[in-house]
Amino acid sequence: MLNQNVPILHIDHLQKNFGKFHALKNITFDIYPGEVFGFIGPNGAGKSTTIRTILGILRASGGRATIFGKDVFKDAVEIHKRIAYVPGDVYLWPNLTGGEIIDLFLKLGHSRHTLKTDELIKKFQLDPTKKARTYSKGNRQKVALIAAFSTKADLYIFDEPTSGLDPLNEEIFQKEVFNLKKNGKAVLLSSHILSEVEKMCDNIGIIRNGEIVETGSLAQMRHLTRTTIKVQTQIQTPELLSMSGVHNVELGNNQTVLSVDSDYLESVMAYLSQKQIVSIQATPPTLEDLFLRYYDSNNGGSNNEK
Amino acid sequence: MKSERFQKTFFLTRFSFKRDWLRLSVWTVVLIGLFVGVAAKFNGLYGSKNAIEQIIKTLKTPAMVSLFGKMPSGPYTTADVFASEMTVFMAIIAAIMNFYFIIHNTRGEEEDGILEMIQAHSVGRLSNLSAALLEVFILNLVIGLIYSLGLQFANLAGTDTNGNFLLGLGLGAVGFMFASIAAVIAQLTDNSRTASILSYLVFGIMYIARMITDVSHSKYTWLVPMGWVEKFSTYKDNNWLPVLLMLILSIIMTLLAFYLNSHRDVGSGLIATRAGKSHASIFLRGPISLSWRLNRVSILVWFFGIMILGATYGSVFNTIGDILKTNPMMKQLLDTKAINAANILIIKEFIALLVIVFAVLALVPGISLINYLKTGESKGYLEIIHATPTSRTRLYFSTLFLATLTSIAVFFGGLYGLYIGGNAVMSHYLDFSIFLRSFYGYLSPLLVLIGISAFLIGWLPKLVAINYGYLILAFFIQYFGKLLKLPDWSAKISPFGFIDKVPVKNFDIATFWWQIGIAVILIGIGYIGYRRRDLIIN
Repeated sequence: MLNQNVPILHIDHLQKNFGKFHALKNITFDIYPGEVFGFIGPNGAGKSTTIRTILGILRASGGRATIFGKDVFKDAVEIHKRIAYVPGDVYLWPNLTGGEIIDLFLKLGHSRHTLKTDELIKKFQLDPTKKARTYSKGNRQKVALIAAFSTKADLYIFDEPTSGLDPLNEEIFQKEVFNLKKNGKAVLLSSHILSEVEKMCDNIGIIRNGEIVETGSLAQMRHLTRTTIKVQTQIQTPELLSMSGVHNVELGNNQTVLSVDSDYLESVMAYLSQKQIVSIQATPPTLEDLFLRYYDSNNGGSNNEK
Repeated sequence: MKSERFQKTFFLTRFSFKRDWLRLSVWTVVLIGLFVGVAAKFNGLYGSKNAIEQIIKTLKTPAMVSLFGKMPSGPYTTADVFASEMTVFMAIIAAIMNFYFIIHNTRGEEEDGILEMIQAHSVGRLSNLSAALLEVFILNLVIGLIYSLGLQFANLAGTDTNGNFLLGLGLGAVGFMFASIAAVIAQLTDNSRTASILSYLVFGIMYIARMITDVSHSKYTWLVPMGWVEKFSTYKDNNWLPVLLMLILSIIMTLLAFYLNSHRDVGSGLIATRAGKSHASIFLRGPISLSWRLNRVSILVWFFGIMILGATYGSVFNTIGDILKTNPMMKQLLDTKAINAANILIIKEFIALLVIVFAVLALVPGISLINYLKTGESKGYLEIIHATPTSRTRLYFSTLFLATLTSIAVFFGGLYGLYIGGNAVMSHYLDFSIFLRSFYGYLSPLLVLIGISAFLIGWLPKLVAINYGYLILAFFIQYFGKLLKLPDWSAKISPFGFIDKVPVKNFDIATFWWQIGIAVILIGIGYIGYRRRDLIIN
């Protein structure tokens, strides 16, 4: 039904100002059918603002965002017929029960309470007869998640959906997202939990100060960064200190630790192999390393390190 | 042990003042401006003996007694007139202010989870409650003192220092008494909405009780705490006993609140929240039904509450509509038929004065329903709704529809109660058309006020609350305009001022249509704004 080559969500130089404050300066990325897109960035970087803009809750100040080829603000109602959304902070009407709210959300989205809904309620172990007033943060998130997962949509938007869930429920969440992916749905997942993003997402966008600083698959991103190598050799390796593409060298008696730019991996390995390797351990950069690389620097210029 | 429970109370009180300073200042300035402003004008208004005699005649009619309380016996001075006109009214406003601050700062904080964070520090169990009470105690004391000083400066003919301080501090005391009552109620329920509803219910019962006792046997008014303000007998006997009673009741209520507070868990109330349905009923399916479902209790409370208030006012018709009582001479001058006609006219005059009360009260739930588009937005409740195919158009008009319907229904309920209550006691049947004339007459200004809220939602969502201020201003002008001899133009500030005295006068169709026109335009402009603006996010 959905053309794999046409993006479901297309964001092009999106901007949003609140008065003089530029919350979003330049957001550009696409999401295709069957893709889980991880949206990461620190607090206040503009993740939720981006999401609220593409939901038509906020009006863009510049640039363009379309979902299913339609304008996110003007055609919000048409678009919302085919999306499901779970906000970061789920607020539920205190005097309604969880079950009532799930049904209401489904009806508002032109869906119905189905067997799938009951199944999800059971899986997430939610008591739907309790008033929302008595729910914890995790339970409120479950209500929104159950409603979202039982909605038949083409684009699912989750804004830090698992921040209040326990590990068991987090796993159920991940399984459900895999099911969506299998069925060719598109998913936008904003998250802080990098292991979750690493595990689930095909492509990742890193946002910082209202700008997307990097997009691509984790593999592609890794290419841009360094592999950490711990090596033990019979012969000393002082040349490492002056080799190009090699950083943070710690020469030890027993073990040497170094970071290597991906592009120089081959030459470094060739050099090391001549030094009679006793043991070697290479760690690919984790998302956390990537993340920290973009955020740790105070000067804001991640590019000059490359 | 004792001090441990109150640990950091003074710190929290100081913090509360810092947090609430704007709201506290606005309330203080408005209340003092109202009270002292009126006092300053009074020597000019009722300086002459003639003017005093005239107004006393009016104030002694049962209709006025039901609204302002019973007059002490004469002879009267300017200061007496002031005391009898302002005491009950200022007590009502004091109750509203104190309910707001106490419920907001105790149950409200608890509901929002702020209390939990505070309690996690080395703060006593009762510190938050006592800080909230201390805050409003100081507030009431300061306002009361400034009232007293204002009266000293206004120097009305017939005042004395003792009376000035009695009236000022007495009004402060009644405010704190209501605060302590609300503090108890806030312990009973587990959410601030129910606490507010219950507090106003208690207040409403007291108000009605004092009204009934005032027009029948005014010594029973001593049984109603709210009625104590009428017993000051300011500038006559200067009776401090009611103030003492209020303080005693306040202390009892405060201790009760402390007791209840230390015998319950944070976040819970004594009236527990029950489990509900696991599925939504088929009626809960869109914005209108959601709004109804969320607010049905308060809508019904408003509807029946106002209807009962109407019936109570109606039940004094036979006392009010008896011209012979205030003017026995009439019997010699007029025949029975003419007396009946005169009686009906008095009742119509009374209804004309009451309509504004019902109309203003009926607007409160309506405006509050509309304002939910803002509060629900900023608190995050509407975020998921906005992400569903529910259009802003639908949400806006659904909300307006329910709000308008609620206001009209509550307004109608009040008049209907008046009709039922009136006819229950009257020997002479009052036709329903008399009441309908008032109903039709006030429909258009009602809609203009709704329109103003709709406009604010679209363009100035952060300022939606100012329509309440406008409503209070409109009420004040309509209600007190004649008594305070306000200039004629002041009535034209609000849409109510353009309505002829219905049902005494006829319903004017032209006014009706131009006001409806304004309401429609306001709603339309508000819609344009609401459709294109950013929604408020937290």
